[in-house]
Amino acid sequence: MDIFLQQLANGLTIGSMFALVALGYTMVYGVMKLINFAHGDMVAASAFVGLTIYTQVMGQATSLFAVIAIFLLSAITMAVIGIILERVAYRPLREAPRLSAVVSALGASLVIQNGIMLIWGPRMRIFPELVPQVYWDLGGVVISLIQVIILVLSLVLMLALYLFVEKTRMGAAVRAASIDQDAARLMGINVNNIIALIFIIGSSLGAVGGLFIGLYYRGITFNMGWQYGLYAFIAAILGGIGNIPGAMLGGMLLGLFNAFIAGYVSSTWADAFTFILLILILIVRPTGILGERVAEKV
Amino acid sequence: MKELQKFPYPIFFAVMAVLPHLLNDRWQAVAITFLIFAVVALSQDIILGKSGMFNMGQALFFGMGAYTTAILNNEYGWSIVATIPLAILIPALFGILLAGPIVHLRGDYLLVVTIGFNIVFVQVLQNNLGGVTGGPNGIFGLDSLSIFGYDLMSQISVYYFAFIVLLLTLWVMHNLAGSKPGRALHYLREDQLAAESIGINTRVYKIFAFGLGAGIAGLAGTVFAVQYSAVSPEAFEFIQSVLFFSIVLVGGSSVPGILLGVFVMFVLPEIFREFATWRYFIFGFAMIAAMILRPRGIVPATFGKIPKFLIKGGSHGA
Amino acid sequence: MKFGKMMLALAAITLLAVPAFADSHGGTLKVGVQAPITGSYANEGQGIENGVQLLAEQINAKGGVMGKQIEVITCDDQGTAMAAAICAKDLVNKGVKMVIGSYTSTCAEAAQKTYYKAGVLQTSDGTADSLTEKGYWTFLRNSFPNSAEAEFVANYLVNVKKYQRIVVISDFSTYADGLANAAEAAIKKLGGNVVSRDKIKADSQNFTPVLTNIKSKNPDAIFFAGYYSDGGQLRNQQMALGIKADFYGGDANDNPDFVKLAGSAATGAFIVNVPSPDVLPYEIAKSFIADYQKKYGEMPPSIWGLMNIDGMRAIIHAMEQNKSFDTKAAADYLHNMKEPLEGITGQIAFAKDGNRKGGAYVVKKIQADGTYANEYVQ
Repeated sequence: MDIFLQQLANGLTIGSMFALVALGYTMVYGVMKLINFAHGDMVAASAFVGLTIYTQVMGQATSLFAVIAIFLLSAITMAVIGIILERVAYRPLREAPRLSAVVSALGASLVIQNGIMLIWGPRMRIFPELVPQVYWDLGGVVISLIQVIILVLSLVLMLALYLFVEKTRMGAAVRAASIDQDAARLMGINVNNIIALIFIIGSSLGAVGGLFIGLYYRGITFNMGWQYGLYAFIAAILGGIGNIPGAMLGGMLLGLFNAFIAGYVSSTWADAFTFILLILILIVRPTGILGERVAEKV
Repeated sequence: MKELQKFPYPIFFAVMAVLPHLLNDRWQAVAITFLIFAVVALSQDIILGKSGMFNMGQALFFGMGAYTTAILNNEYGWSIVATIPLAILIPALFGILLAGPIVHLRGDYLLVVTIGFNIVFVQVLQNNLGGVTGGPNGIFGLDSLSIFGYDLMSQISVYYFAFIVLLLTLWVMHNLAGSKPGRALHYLREDQLAAESIGINTRVYKIFAFGLGAGIAGLAGTVFAVQYSAVSPEAFEFIQSVLFFSIVLVGGSSVPGILLGVFVMFVLPEIFREFATWRYFIFGFAMIAAMILRPRGIVPATFGKIPKFLIKGGSHGA
Repeated sequence: MKFGKMMLALAAITLLAVPAFADSHGGTLKVGVQAPITGSYANEGQGIENGVQLLAEQINAKGGVMGKQIEVITCDDQGTAMAAAICAKDLVNKGVKMVIGSYTSTCAEAAQKTYYKAGVLQTSDGTADSLTEKGYWTFLRNSFPNSAEAEFVANYLVNVKKYQRIVVISDFSTYADGLANAAEAAIKKLGGNVVSRDKIKADSQNFTPVLTNIKSKNPDAIFFAGYYSDGGQLRNQQMALGIKADFYGGDANDNPDFVKLAGSAATGAFIVNVPSPDVLPYEIAKSFIADYQKKYGEMPPSIWGLMNIDGMRAIIHAMEQNKSFDTKAAADYLHNMKEPLEGITGQIAFAKDGNRKGGAYVVKKIQADGTYANEYVQ
């Protein structure tokens, strides 16, 4: 039972990181019907940006204020990069064939990934120990402070996003744009602004996810974006791509699935099982858990 | 545009036929790499360009052919030539089996599923399934090609082996364009609903395209195994599939476009070694720029009409 | 652009490029470096290249090897087997006489057969036993094999520290898997109790599922045979899960990044290795490391790069003794050395199978400030 609860705690921690990143995929897909392949690399980039802010701007301070500042500054930086990405790589292709945008997204992914390598080098960089290593032993299940922070902060951010999308006028505009862009435009919604907004939100949530990866695992590499990006993308599909609560649920479920497979079956087959699950879902229920059935236009 | 369509095949073939005699060892190796990847990119084109299926897992079939050759040679002592039929058939069969349940999926779902196949395949190799794949290191020190007792070890013989495979691939693709399945694929890519309504069994032809593309990629895998006398999981990672996917679309799904794409992606970095670290960074920008300036690819395909999915997508997707 | 013009442009580029790549038949001795210049082990690889460059400069300044200047040709194997196989072909095609590297056993092994077929000497710090089991006369190991380390570790864990419940972990690489298997066998041979033998996927970052399972086995010692990039995270996650066992990292964990990755969790972990560069007592070591620091502004990343330098020194020494650049003769000389060569990492002499003779290990404990203290010296 201890093992089960321990794997559960670990799975939820990883799952909430997946969920944060998955939100970026699902929101962009919802409105633009585009797989933003560059999103995973944006997440990786934010960990490096955070590292540089820590060493250059914060002077390696480890106070609570410094940590909050690193989170805010990284999120702002990534939001700006996200807007630039959309303007340069995606907006000119909005009316172009679907596959052209996919290739452009892959190109953007290569640019960001290798941009990180050129700026910060190909070596693994080490993230500072900003959160003290504090552990609590709850009857055999050990929870660390960083796990609690990741879990709580992720839930708060996701709840905030949910309320924003469901309860505000701007959120309603986002929902409208994802149902039908043309109709939304006719209703007086500036779709360009909505898309920019989505990139701001998605990139800054991704930035938080990237910093969590840095804080939790410590070692960050320029090409880690693909790994986390793919997992997060699977989480988005699992929950029903385009569906915001679905991405949160999908992320959590994927984290748990991965932890239990690795714990009870085999850690070396965890990736394979995850992708087999994905393939089965797409074959059996392509719309995911919370997704609605969308007829494909022919 | 007219000139673009008249790819000077005779000149190209003549140049390629004498090329290895003009190059030293190192550049022969580069030329062989070009031929191998050109074949894989063309096989990807059968599935992606000619049939309009978003396949991003072509490295799987490529790798399956390479591993078939490597395992049969290394574990069971088959000669390289004897492995060729199975190196084509096994990937082709897998192509058919994998495609069966997924060809009906919408575009980007198909894309994600094929990425998934690729990743599962690489993990199977890394985990040394059945104890024959050599785990994460792969298999090294394969025999060289030998026919009728002649040991064809030299780079030049490998080059001609690869060149023959490329010619064979071009011949298959040429025949496909005029054949019944080729025309069927063309129609269903243009308008699947219309194709179905005139009695074309789209599912059968889509699976056929997958099998054909997989078989050719498998043959390229054999050449790869011969050239490096080694196979390793990382050579068939899905990032390789991404490159082939991009080459076909940036090239415009035409033979000259694809060959140009392979040249830019795999030969230019060898010429400009000092840019090696900048390679993907520059390619990334080039991919974005190419798609913005020429959304149908650098050298668009000219068979019949331009494929519909390359012309008109609209903001809601195809 | 018209396609014809495009082809013309391509032809022009190719023509322009050709002279630059024509073979230069100078009177140089070509030395290849096959090392991970990029990738996870980049700092080790760069350390090897830096060392070789430095040694080549020093030798060239003294007039070269029998009048020939050394020309260093580096190939980046990225720490991956496939790139290593390509590097091997490339370096052989460029006409090198010897290849220094690579850092990992996997890459050394992937390239071995190509060098053997071409008669090119290869000296690597790879410690996997399989490297010297193929009988290639071209391969010279400049470090000590895994089996030696495994026996040392087993003896220390079972007989010195008397652990009752030992866990052995590795990744899938040639080196790590070989070392872990050898250690497991050696521990069992001494009557020790291995409660679990686990494998992790290198670079996968999340090791908590495996560690959680290990926790339920209640071990008192963990021996990790993989590389520092995983070892540091493994140690960190071990402490985060509250597993009290003592952590022992194999030689490839001896890297400053291990401590940085594990953070404060590094304190109290043990590293098993051959002695480190800064404690090398030999005169030649002190002067070479001083020169290295002067040229590059940092210490060599680890002793492994220095072992490779010793391998290069040994081969050049053999050629000078033979007064010939013949590689077979050099190998024969090294396999039958009467007098060992004084090296940066101690005396160098090779057994008939290409293994370096000798080998001494230390156990180091990581202190709260991240420095090492010797716990046990063989």
